[in-house]
Amino acid sequence: MNEIVISAKGLAKTYGRGAKKVAAVRGLDLQVRKGEIFGLVGPDGAGKTTTIQMLCGILTPSSGSAIVENVDVLQNADDLGGEIGYMSEGFSLYGSLSVEENLDFFTQLYKVPPEIAYQRKANLLRFARLNDARDRRAEHLSGGMKKKLALACTLIYQPKVLFLDEPTTGVDPASRQDFWKILYEFLAEGITIFVSTPYMDEAERCNKVALMNQGKIIASDSPAGLKGILQGASLDLIASPQIRALAALRQNPAVRQVQVFGERLHLLLSAGQEHPAILAEQLKTAGIDVASYQATNPSLEDVFIAAIQEKEATGVPTGAAAVHQPDTIERSTPEKRASNHIAVRVENLTRRFGDFTAVDRLNFTVQQGEIFGFLGPNGSGKTTTIRMLTGLLPPSAGRASVGGFDPRSERAAMKSRIGYMSQKFSLYNDLTVNENIRFYGDVYGLPPERLVERRKWVLEMAGLSGKEHLLVNQLSGGWKQRLALGCAILHDPDILFLDEPTSGVDPLSRRQFWDLIFELSNQGVTVFVTTHYMDEAEHCHKLGLLYRGRLIARGSPAELRANMKLGSLLEIPVNDSLAALASLNAIPEIIQTSIFGDRLHILVWDVEASRLSIEQKLASQSLLAGSVQVVPVSLEDLFMLFIEMEEAGRKARQAHG
Amino acid sequence: MDSVLPILKKELREIWRDPYILGVAILLPLVLLFLFAYAFDLDVEAVPLAVVDLDRSAQSRSYANAFANAGKFNLEYRLADPNEAARQLDRGAVQAVLVIPGGFSRTLLEGDTAQVQTLLDGAFPTSAMVIQGYVEAINAAFTGQYLKTHFAALGMGSNPAITPAVQAAIRVRYNPGLKSANFVVPGLIGVILMAFPPLLSALAIVRERERGSIQQIFVSPLKPWAFILGKLLPYGGIAYLELLLILLAARYWFGVPVAGNFGLFLLACIPYVISTVAIGLLVSTLTRSQLTAMLLAIVLTMMPAFIFSGFMYPLYTMPKILQFYSYFFPARYFTEITHDVFLRGSGLQDWGPQLAFLSAYALGLIGLASQRFKKKVS
Repeated sequence: MNEIVISAKGLAKTYGRGAKKVAAVRGLDLQVRKGEIFGLVGPDGAGKTTTIQMLCGILTPSSGSAIVENVDVLQNADDLGGEIGYMSEGFSLYGSLSVEENLDFFTQLYKVPPEIAYQRKANLLRFARLNDARDRRAEHLSGGMKKKLALACTLIYQPKVLFLDEPTTGVDPASRQDFWKILYEFLAEGITIFVSTPYMDEAERCNKVALMNQGKIIASDSPAGLKGILQGASLDLIASPQIRALAALRQNPAVRQVQVFGERLHLLLSAGQEHPAILAEQLKTAGIDVASYQATNPSLEDVFIAAIQEKEATGVPTGAAAVHQPDTIERSTPEKRASNHIAVRVENLTRRFGDFTAVDRLNFTVQQGEIFGFLGPNGSGKTTTIRMLTGLLPPSAGRASVGGFDPRSERAAMKSRIGYMSQKFSLYNDLTVNENIRFYGDVYGLPPERLVERRKWVLEMAGLSGKEHLLVNQLSGGWKQRLALGCAILHDPDILFLDEPTSGVDPLSRRQFWDLIFELSNQGVTVFVTTHYMDEAEHCHKLGLLYRGRLIARGSPAELRANMKLGSLLEIPVNDSLAALASLNAIPEIIQTSIFGDRLHILVWDVEASRLSIEQKLASQSLLAGSVQVVPVSLEDLFMLFIEMEEAGRKARQAHG
Repeated sequence: MDSVLPILKKELREIWRDPYILGVAILLPLVLLFLFAYAFDLDVEAVPLAVVDLDRSAQSRSYANAFANAGKFNLEYRLADPNEAARQLDRGAVQAVLVIPGGFSRTLLEGDTAQVQTLLDGAFPTSAMVIQGYVEAINAAFTGQYLKTHFAALGMGSNPAITPAVQAAIRVRYNPGLKSANFVVPGLIGVILMAFPPLLSALAIVRERERGSIQQIFVSPLKPWAFILGKLLPYGGIAYLELLLILLAARYWFGVPVAGNFGLFLLACIPYVISTVAIGLLVSTLTRSQLTAMLLAIVLTMMPAFIFSGFMYPLYTMPKILQFYSYFFPARYFTEITHDVFLRGSGLQDWGPQLAFLSAYALGLIGLASQRFKKKVS
């Protein structure tokens, strides 16, 4: 076994004093071996950045110890020299310097000999596909390119240990893939990687994962090991009517958690419970038609939620609140549910800033009561589109109709019918829950009696009854999020705009939030949501994929998958990921391969035809570590293919243009 | 030194590509120089004057002309009504009013002292005092002249009554024309150098903190002193450039003469420039936000420089405790040096001690800033 290069014992960090004390990290222990990719997974506020900064030696812990590459980072952080690299959450590049100048700065700072620096620079630029942008100023790069450049700057002096803090948050899938490819290449040279991420699916790429919540590690193992805890506990069910199925399942003690993915219900079953067939029977006797059910592999998110709930059961506070069951909440005007009429219509909507086209001829419609998801990486035009639809920004061309109103000319009338929740929650941190609600009530012009009843409604929905006198900055992320939602729908709007509503919230709260959204949709509210979490797309009825201002795909998740004729995704556990990757190069039927920790994900057109040859190839080199399984193609893979098609089309247009 | 180079080069590049920094560094000091030099013009010339001649005799006209021809007054109004004159004074149209009484020449002939009511605008005490001086001087000259003519007419020639017992032989050394620009402008150099360079250098580091790029420095093996020097040198260079521009303006626009050794002076400026930039770097180790950095920088540099450097008001007129306070600020020592070099032309032997102190101050600041700069987020 490899030696331990990172070890932490009882690491803790507390900020503030007295009543304002905040424990960011509480008694953390971990160990990372040489050559491993170690993932620290958890939502915002879990303490990931604090942990990484302490391990790098740039933040003094309140207690505990940490040793990196045999150096005590508390006492002798200076001895680390150029052994570690650190990529912080922001960009930490020099904006007015060019790509090349940034790289040069780091080679000089770390005293890399010039000939070697030259070689490495060339390699990294090529690998990161930044060669054409060599002389471009860093501030003019896209988000994904900035992250790749930041990575290149830390790799150019070849540290032994690399710390990455949320390196791919908000980045387009293509750049994300590039990013991980670069990492895997360098892994071959023996670098140990410590990465923190809020994305559960990114955690799958690591050899070992530690789940972190509220300053503590609640579970730690390889991804397979973690999922093994929940073996047999995960079930996918398709039933109708879905609402009743949902209600019945929630009340069923055998079911720990239910989640809605379009028409699919994803269940997390309680420990040691009976065969899923029994569950299906129970539903059938209740008059609910079960179309199909299938045991599935639990996801890391399932594991996380189960771990959080364990802690709750043992009385350790986790900050994830028990939310009032949404199916008993009623809207005050239930007759609002209109049938099949179009809530939002967008025609050739365009917005230009100078000669930069942020939004390019969008065309789509959203039905009343639908959940419409607007997906895309940062910078693709999502926020600009929402601003145009809410009347905050006039379009350069095209038209929009929101709830029958023109956002530009009928803004005042429209505003009482729409609600908007921004990314940063737009709550006043130093006001209480009550005061925030009252403020928004006043802003929307609610008459006093109405405000009273709506306030009660919001408190109940958000699970904050009894907590109305708490200051907002005393609430955890999940509660703030629900309160912000409540404030956005205080005036009972028909159409709700949510701009990245779940960034920075723990998985349990995220699920509960989506339950609320789903409930609202059932009551006839149209929900327009933007996100860069691809897995949340599954919750939506319809999706619009936005890339560089253009709508490159549109339709329900099922439709998109069907239309793409994507082929199938094989998951294969292997002994040596890089060697396995190399050995499969020759097989032509493979569309795409990526490394996920100790597994390969292989996209093929024809499962039956390719499966055998792949298995044989790997087995012949003793690389096969388990059986081949077919797993669902993720929306991210889907999106990647759409982007590639778009890019190909763009180049073709430029060539003939 | 090669540790300092990467920071130095990067900083220079960033400065060159940021138009605002260059604007603040080059243009604002010049703007400030011109604003203050003209605003603080202490010379009292062309005082608007109104004369009310109620006597209308040859003597009264001669008296009025004495003022008109003195070269310091502009005789704007000859009025008949004292109230009208008072109104002009209220309006600010004139700064001085003479009311020559009706019996002026008769009083003189009788050998009595004629009282001429003189009204002065006291809103600006300093200029009022100067005008008062002018008036008294002109009165004395007129009196002397009148007596001489009078005694000559009586055939008495020179008379002890009109020959003063003691006459002060006044020679004004150092700025003989008593031109205020020659005094104000050299003092302003110290003040302006205290205004902008500390601001720029403080913001330089705080900005990196706010952006997060400073964390890369934290993680690297770079020593704190190398980082401080890497920031100090480019901003020091810019401050020196500012200095040269101000000196050019002083010499060729304001016509301030340089009495002493200019080359030596340029050398002496170096420790001062370093101090100003180093103060800014020190401020940046005290604060995390750009806003606080700016406020701190202004409070610690520009305000003391203005009031306690001695550029406007001689320090010896201040209470002792404040004089003691002024010793803490490098602007005080530098202003002594600039006054010496520009106006008195004295050499190193006179301002050597000040120079030594400034150098020690500069080195001390650099050391303190390096020591305070920790490669930790907190």
